[in-house]
Amino acid sequence: MKLPIRLSKESREPIYHQIEQQMKGLIAGGNLPAGTILPSIRALAKDLEISVITTRRAYQDLEQTGFIQTLQGKGTFVAEIEHSLKEQVTVSAVYEAIERGIDTGLQYDYSLKEIEELFQSIIVQKRKERLE
Amino acid sequence: MTVQLTRMTKSVDDFSLGPVDLTLEPGTVTVLAGSNSSGKSLLLKTILNLVKKDDGEVKIFGEHVPGNTEQWIGRVGYMPQALIGCETFTGEELKSLVSRWYPNWDDCFFNTIAERLNIPLKKKYGKMSKGAQQKLSFALTIPRNPELLLLDEPTSHMDIPAKQIWLDILVEWMEAEERTILMATHNVDEIRKIADYISVMRNGKIIGTFEKEAFTRSYKRYWLHKLPVHPVPGEAAREEGVIISRLPFETEQYFRVQNIEYTDVRPLDLEEIITMMLKG
Repeated sequence: MKLPIRLSKESREPIYHQIEQQMKGLIAGGNLPAGTILPSIRALAKDLEISVITTRRAYQDLEQTGFIQTLQGKGTFVAEIEHSLKEQVTVSAVYEAIERGIDTGLQYDYSLKEIEELFQSIIVQKRKERLE
Repeated sequence: MTVQLTRMTKSVDDFSLGPVDLTLEPGTVTVLAGSNSSGKSLLLKTILNLVKKDDGEVKIFGEHVPGNTEQWIGRVGYMPQALIGCETFTGEELKSLVSRWYPNWDDCFFNTIAERLNIPLKKKYGKMSKGAQQKLSFALTIPRNPELLLLDEPTSHMDIPAKQIWLDILVEWMEAEERTILMATHNVDEIRKIADYISVMRNGKIIGTFEKEAFTRSYKRYWLHKLPVHPVPGEAAREEGVIISRLPFETEQYFRVQNIEYTDVRPLDLEEIITMMLKG
């Protein structure tokens, strides 16, 4: 199975961290339900064109935080995760996305006040869309 | 460590290899990248004592090579660029010859490979295309189930679909157990998809061994409105409105201090990095 992971080789964020964040998102968002068999470290390395050193590190971190589980001889699976952990991932994913948006605004020399106004106008727009 | 080379040297006519230091960790793939006649094939042969080294130390699975014991031989597979003395045998004949020498021979696996790669087993080796010869040579090597595999430009003559199938077979085979591969190749796609470490060879020497992600982030291209007059720290090359750096961290620090703004930055791709390194 190919995982819908997209790496940004330009980003300063380490590759293993990008994999972890995206996998957490896929698991918490329900795209990868508990029990799903994950690709082996070597197969994932081939698909993402990275080394097994990097994929192994991402898998180890995910295992330590309880998102995935490795069974000797059977492979790696998505673990059953608690609701609170799911919530935590979702909140932090949204938080980071908004933060990135604000950073983009600052890069284009917008003031925080102007960004806030933009944010408000997007909210108004979305509200309208929801009512229609 | 699966393989450990310490200051290994070998001279052949006016070419000298080494001194080479190289370590292969179990379960990893190391690719030897370098121009033609940089000594990749000679390095592989010298590791296996097919060519006698002049000096230095070679250890495979902890055993000295050459040494008093030769347990390692049964645990190693080697695929040379061409099989010699096989021209008059068919693929099937070669298989029955080779399989007899190896107690761990997996005949079922051989058949699977032959089928997936569409190898004309009834043809004589000498009558096969170069691509088919490579496929056969590969099929005669990995069903021995070696723990260490040395491959010398294994797919240089294969067509595009065959290369993909070859890669799939190799990846599936590596998943099952801890296997170690050292491979000389010019194929960038193979390096991208399967290498964990890249060793760059030039004129008989390994000029560096890098973990792949560190390697692909080692060189960056900066776009600037105006190029500084003097070379910047880490500068490897200049193009129109562009500086290529081999030390991005130092370069960026310099840009910050000097208040030089760049409009964009991108890592170089694998081919470009290898080319840069080989130019020196």
